[in-house]
Amino acid sequence: MSEVNTGYIDFFSILGLDENARPGDVRKVYRKRMKALVSEIARAEITEQSRVRYLLDMAQLNAALLVLRESGPRDEYWNERKALIALEDKWREAVDASDDGAEMVRREYIGRLQSFLSRYCEELMLAAGQDKECVEHSHWDNAHTRHASRILRFYRNDLHQKILERLPYVEVTPPEIDFEERRRFIAGVLAEGS
Amino acid sequence: MFGKKRNNDTHEKQIDPELITKAFAKAIADGDIVNLKFLFGPFSPARKTSPERFETEKYSYMIAVDDQENDPVFADALRMVGSPEIQKHIETELAANRPAQLPSELVLALGDNAVRLKKYTSAAQAYELLRIRARMQEQTLELADEALDVGDIKKAARGYVIATGLEYDYAAFPEPLPKTPNYQMNALILHGEYPLSPEDCLPLRETSAFLQIALGYILLNNEIAARLEKRSIETRTEFLRELVRMRDPGWDGFLARYREAIKLRHEFAERIRRANAIESGGESDLENEIDKSQGEDPVEMPRALLGRTIDNGTWWQYLKELAYTHPAAILFTTRQLIGGDEIIVPLHNDESPVAKALGLVSE
Repeated sequence: MSEVNTGYIDFFSILGLDENARPGDVRKVYRKRMKALVSEIARAEITEQSRVRYLLDMAQLNAALLVLRESGPRDEYWNERKALIALEDKWREAVDASDDGAEMVRREYIGRLQSFLSRYCEELMLAAGQDKECVEHSHWDNAHTRHASRILRFYRNDLHQKILERLPYVEVTPPEIDFEERRRFIAGVLAEGS
Repeated sequence: MFGKKRNNDTHEKQIDPELITKAFAKAIADGDIVNLKFLFGPFSPARKTSPERFETEKYSYMIAVDDQENDPVFADALRMVGSPEIQKHIETELAANRPAQLPSELVLALGDNAVRLKKYTSAAQAYELLRIRARMQEQTLELADEALDVGDIKKAARGYVIATGLEYDYAAFPEPLPKTPNYQMNALILHGEYPLSPEDCLPLRETSAFLQIALGYILLNNEIAARLEKRSIETRTEFLRELVRMRDPGWDGFLARYREAIKLRHEFAERIRRANAIESGGESDLENEIDKSQGEDPVEMPRALLGRTIDNGTWWQYLKELAYTHPAAILFTTRQLIGGDEIIVPLHNDESPVAKALGLVSE
């Protein structure tokens, strides 16, 4: 199994539930957490940084409800996530074994990864803002959507980057970096113009 | 003619290995990531399977000229590319029918040369491939902050310029790309709301708040600029002065035009004052007649600032072009509605240490 599956959004852990949680539990926990979040926002001093964090927390809770409250979308999401993690492992094994098919697996993995992140970290989070139950509890409105579209794009890319950084090197040979030497190089460049 | 096959088409393409080595070395020495990727690409003239040839005119830019061959940076790159391991790697990758894997040693050397040559977007791409970009950025900022601690403003400014030059835009479509200067759009955002009172005008903000905005704008990065917030106003002012001159070598030329625009603004204000005085009971005199005959077009002010006329130009067109030619200039302008037209006018606080440091006010 790959490194603790980081980067693949886990809606169960967002709600603090395990994967066998019943839809009733999902609703109950969602309402409790959303209520706490809304009252925290009402008390907090809103800065640019806190606005981004609160909006993201709210979008994640809403999407968790939207995905997990019914068994159909929940199973589809969870199976897609598990398949993606398995594909990452398959690619790593192919790279380790210098398998000729590694490139094909990599392409498939990258395509599915992008599609997974776009769907669950961007599209569904925005779609949840249109859902009646989510709107009722989170008071999500058009202004939230307007701000969230940019924030969610960054969030998706951030997760994407986090995943890419732990994957095997493909475009370049694995580098051997001596960061002391790097520091000396920068110091040299800065001193050049003095 | 027809029916006869030409035999020479079936010959295998011959490539001078020295040409390949020199082309790679040139890409490394020039800090040119696009050329390096192209040399490994499917249509590379270095590939036997490609119909492209180094000897054709269109690839002359890839071959080092005599002058460059004597350059020590090129000599280093040539030595690196010519090493047996790299040569073997290049041959293998060029022969393989799949996307090439670039040798990390070459990519690192290319990135370093790009930094030296101030080709920051190229350096950012090279470091990103090696997954060291963010750490290089952080190390550069640490060294720049150390320089600032000992009062070496020039070195610090250089560090901040390099670090912000290595910034990446992960939200770029269709794939992350280096962040590029976009003063035109940022200037519009800064002047997005019409100032309803003098306090709303960007150039008249309190010095510390003004410096924060100005540094974020010139550095193209508010987060990195926030590292400077705790520094004294004097340090930040000196730092901004250094940055402005680094970003805009033509700043002194702009200053002459700025003073001209300020003169026009004073003249225009004086005409308005006289016109108001006449309307409220005064009488016309010869001086006013002369003023009228000279014309009172307020658009002269943005024209003077920009140094040219934009046909039917609106305030934002002048602002955008001004931001492109002299990024810092828009920090000392504001929007002004005159009659039915909105224009940009020069504005600064005569007492501001920033305006003095940047040469807008004679000390």
